[in-house]
Amino acid sequence: MRQVFHYMRSYLKESILGPLFKLLEATFELFVPLVVANIVDVGIKNGDRGYIARMAGLMVLLGVIGLTCTIAAQYFAAKASVGCTSGLRRALFERITKLDYTTLDELGTSTMVTRLTSDMNQVETGLNLTLRLLLRSPFVVFGAMVMAFTIDAHAAAVFAVTIPALALVVFGIMLVSIPLYKKVQQSLDRVMLSARENLLGVRVLRAFGREKDEIREFEERGDVLAAAQRFVGNISALLNPLTFVIINAAAVVLVWVGAVRVDSGIIETGEVIALYNYMSQILVELVKLANLIINVTRSVASANRIEAIIELPPEKNAASSADAENAATEKTASTPEIAVEFDHVSLRYKNGGGDALSDITFRAMRGETVGVIGGTGSGKSSLVNLIPAFYTATGGEVRVFGENVSECDREKLRRHVAVVAQGAELYSGTIRENIAWGNADATEKEIEDAVRTAQAADVIASKTHGLDERVERGGVNFSGGQRQRLTIARALVRHADILILDDSASALDFATDAALRASLAALDPKPTVFIVSQRTSSIMHADKIIVLEDGECVGIGTHAELLSSCAVYREIHESQHKEASGE
Amino acid sequence: MRRNKGKNPAAAGSRGTWGYIARAIKPYAPQIIASIMLSAVTVGLTLYIPIKIGEVIDKIVGKNNVDFESIMPMLGTILVMAAAAGVAQWVAGALNNRVTYGVVRDIRCCAHSHIQTLPLSYLDRRPAGELVSRLITDADKFSDGLLLGFTQLFTGVLTIIGTLIFMLTINVWITLVVALLTPMSIFVARFIAGRTYSLFRRQSETRGELTSYIDEMIGGMKTVRAFGREGKTNEKFDAINDRLKTVSVSAIFFSSLTNPTTRFLNAVVYAAVALAGALTSIGGGISVGMLTSFLAYANQYSKPFNEISGVVTELGASLASASRLFELMEVAPETPDREDAAELTADGMSGININGKSANHGKANKNDTTGKDGITGKAATAAAPTAPANLPKKASGEVAFEHIAFSYTPERPLIRDVNVHVAAGQHVAIVGPTGCGKTTLINLLLRFYDVTGGAIKVDGTDIRDLTRASLRRSYGMVLQDTWIKTATVRENIKLGHPSATDEEMIAAARAAHADGFIRRLPRGYDTLLGEGGESLSQGQRQLLSISRIMLSLPPILILDEATSSIDTRTEARINRAFTEMMAGRTAFVVAHRLGTVKNSELILVMKDGDIIEQGTHDSLLAKGGFYKHLWESQFEVV
Repeated sequence: MRQVFHYMRSYLKESILGPLFKLLEATFELFVPLVVANIVDVGIKNGDRGYIARMAGLMVLLGVIGLTCTIAAQYFAAKASVGCTSGLRRALFERITKLDYTTLDELGTSTMVTRLTSDMNQVETGLNLTLRLLLRSPFVVFGAMVMAFTIDAHAAAVFAVTIPALALVVFGIMLVSIPLYKKVQQSLDRVMLSARENLLGVRVLRAFGREKDEIREFEERGDVLAAAQRFVGNISALLNPLTFVIINAAAVVLVWVGAVRVDSGIIETGEVIALYNYMSQILVELVKLANLIINVTRSVASANRIEAIIELPPEKNAASSADAENAATEKTASTPEIAVEFDHVSLRYKNGGGDALSDITFRAMRGETVGVIGGTGSGKSSLVNLIPAFYTATGGEVRVFGENVSECDREKLRRHVAVVAQGAELYSGTIRENIAWGNADATEKEIEDAVRTAQAADVIASKTHGLDERVERGGVNFSGGQRQRLTIARALVRHADILILDDSASALDFATDAALRASLAALDPKPTVFIVSQRTSSIMHADKIIVLEDGECVGIGTHAELLSSCAVYREIHESQHKEASGE
Repeated sequence: MRRNKGKNPAAAGSRGTWGYIARAIKPYAPQIIASIMLSAVTVGLTLYIPIKIGEVIDKIVGKNNVDFESIMPMLGTILVMAAAAGVAQWVAGALNNRVTYGVVRDIRCCAHSHIQTLPLSYLDRRPAGELVSRLITDADKFSDGLLLGFTQLFTGVLTIIGTLIFMLTINVWITLVVALLTPMSIFVARFIAGRTYSLFRRQSETRGELTSYIDEMIGGMKTVRAFGREGKTNEKFDAINDRLKTVSVSAIFFSSLTNPTTRFLNAVVYAAVALAGALTSIGGGISVGMLTSFLAYANQYSKPFNEISGVVTELGASLASASRLFELMEVAPETPDREDAAELTADGMSGININGKSANHGKANKNDTTGKDGITGKAATAAAPTAPANLPKKASGEVAFEHIAFSYTPERPLIRDVNVHVAAGQHVAIVGPTGCGKTTLINLLLRFYDVTGGAIKVDGTDIRDLTRASLRRSYGMVLQDTWIKTATVRENIKLGHPSATDEEMIAAARAAHADGFIRRLPRGYDTLLGEGGESLSQGQRQLLSISRIMLSLPPILILDEATSSIDTRTEARINRAFTEMMAGRTAFVVAHRLGTVKNSELILVMKDGDIIEQGTHDSLLAKGGFYKHLWESQFEVV
């Protein structure tokens, strides 16, 4: 809750005024039964019509004051809760943009989205309700009891018994049903999962003729859900009848005690009516309070989930060491030299069993093309992800232009490295906006050059609006190959010294792939290019090929060298070309 | 089965919806009636108690003037009435639960079963999320809104009528004050709700905008980081977030005015009753006790009105949900299997009734959709001699396309008049650029879609004359997009053959080279795979789907880029296993890498949804067409 309080502080005035006005309103409401008692005991008794009219006027006046106070309270509550949530949401989003890749992997997209959306909404509702009602309901309950005591302490003793009894019922039912509702939610999730999976796997399921089994499974889960819902539903259904019985029993006792007191001349009839009215007020407020507490508990849970992320440490950054930056910048400006160097590097993911990479050592010179090849899960992506320090090596050192990447400024470093990731992600906007991600200052010509180099010119030409064609969310209006070429253009427009293509030409046909490699080779100045691929044809012309297997480097060299020296490479190559080369 | 054509769809839909609702709740009629009766009892007792209290108050006049003799039994009656009302209310609640949750379960299961029969042409056009939301949210809304809404509406109306009657028995004029003033608060609530509606819409629009931005940017967070776009991304987030803040404050504030305003109006009514009642009381019109009862009623009277106005909106929403569910139930299922459809089993076809079949191709075929009959009739006659009557025939896996035509939408014909003959045990390669329509071919082979012209025959029988279940069982399919069920590895492999022994399953996994990684999973074959198999890599998921096929070993195989995400060395090993498995079986293999299909006995070249060339590798090269172009492009050297 610390973060919530932090953002509440900016709305301190509103957070205090809101509940305060609410309490004022409640106080005025508490006077109403007393006024009624006076109408009966003074007005009716004495037949004073003027007094009765004045008292009725007073009741309307109390209502007007109450309304004014509530409106003020609602305004302050709305302002404070929305403002606080807005600040919290902003803080959370900003923190997410600063988390390191390992943490992003651990959290997963859907978790982060849920926290930013539904959890935030829950916090907003919870805050708003808290400011408006959390103080009011207990205040009315105890206020009503206090008022009852001012009328007659003896009769009011009934309140002292009834309130705990009601509280026991209301909160008891709530406490019992909350975990049960959680179970219901889990059962519902299972039903939902069953339905969704069934639809997503419809081809497989029908191909295997599993429709009947699926129906049976769905029905079973539906039964479990219905049984759970009925059980908790029946418990919750106790709330209203039980409180109704208690309040009426209390009213009966109250009236009886009142009758005795009236008989002895201690109180008057109107005061018995007032006592009865206070009893009714209590019930309404207790039920409100119970619902409120359910809501607030949910909000607290949401707030804790949100804070868990906000309080995660941001990506470590050695930004303070300005020397390191300068050193890196200087070196890039100097003449040919080692662009990337891996020195006995190993990497172990958090929660990952073994090493994803172990003891990798190689050098890539400025302008060189390096191929990275290996089977699924051999560590190809892990290797290139270390270059822009997306992950930090758990052993050894990765150096870019002579600088240890874990010690230099991330932003600076990433300006030197352009990565085309596997997913080929595009964002809603225009093609131009997507490409400008790589370089916000890119000129028209730079964009066009990048597009041409990425072999995406025909993609642009095929669209009616050219570069200004809309990109739908996720780039769904482009084919896989088109998306890949556009993401390559986006990286090229950065003019980075190091270009990493992480299996990002897999959807291209052989001819386009070849043309892409040719145009990359013709770039001037030529960047250091890392090409990750499963196809030897994509990397066979590289200056240097790194062959990975199970995270280990099993061969480095040119295509020809590796064919003769590296069994793994030979096997990969042959599996792709044996039949093709005509046996 | 048939959709209403020609009639006004809205009217028909609404009538249909009511019929659908009636059918859904019919099994629960006794419970519903009992619940309604119990609610009536509760309402009556609840309303009668304030009168009784009022009567008791009248016996408490003043000092030494309290009629204890009559108070005692009256208070006893009140206790009994309160207890009875409580019990009736709880039983009614329990009955309502039974009905509500029972109905929602029934309609869910019904809709789910119905979905199993729907044609893929319907399912493919709808995102899974939309149908899931009908099954889950709409079903919930339907039962919650309609049933609970109905009982609430009923008790609400009953309470209002009852209150009016009770009040009228006490005093007509004060009753008029209450009856005329109370609806005011409802109008005010409506007025505010109407005014805030546009604010709420703007709030939810802005919220939607923010959510979709969050969704997109969080999903692509790694790219955001790689390109150093954190600043820009945050800026845009702030802009939307600020707009949301402004609109939210107004929406929340204005909407929260409803409660205090109605409460204020109720206070006014209360004061009016107190005034009128007290004045009447001075004139001896009513007693003080009656005034107390009146005040209690005045407090309660507006409650059912507010509830009813809430229920009406909810009823509207639940009716909309019901009509969405009804609409789903109304979607015509797949053309059912013909009554005399033959079973195609792994061992052979049995029970083909030649007489029945030819008879059905006449006008009597009620299930056939129009436009199909003419062609199938012809094709069936041609095929008839190859299927000897009543004799179970070994399913060899011979597949023939005879003049097939197909399109998803009539405006865009995809396949026009294609003839292919695949002999039993032949291996067919399907090649072509991405999006050339290879998936379409699979849709047709497994009868996920029906051809619009011509016929596909398996072992000489039109596949429309076979039961879908048996036809599909004779195919083994590994698709590019693998599908993993949230279940154990074991259940996933045994999906197509649940009765297989563990030994058979492990042998299949070995053959698919999946045994190794499965054993390394935390609990081996008993490892629970998460939703969508997320804990596995794409390659591992493909190995699992291959294991499934290895286990069920059907006579015809379809491998749709089955090994696209598996590294080439493992692929080579799996291909060896495939080769063994494919021996003697008909196989359709879709592949990117032409090298892997060169030895196929028949190559189908697809482009833009149509089969444009077919032949062997050599004959296609010699032809010098599109295949030659594809083949050569892969060797182009930088």
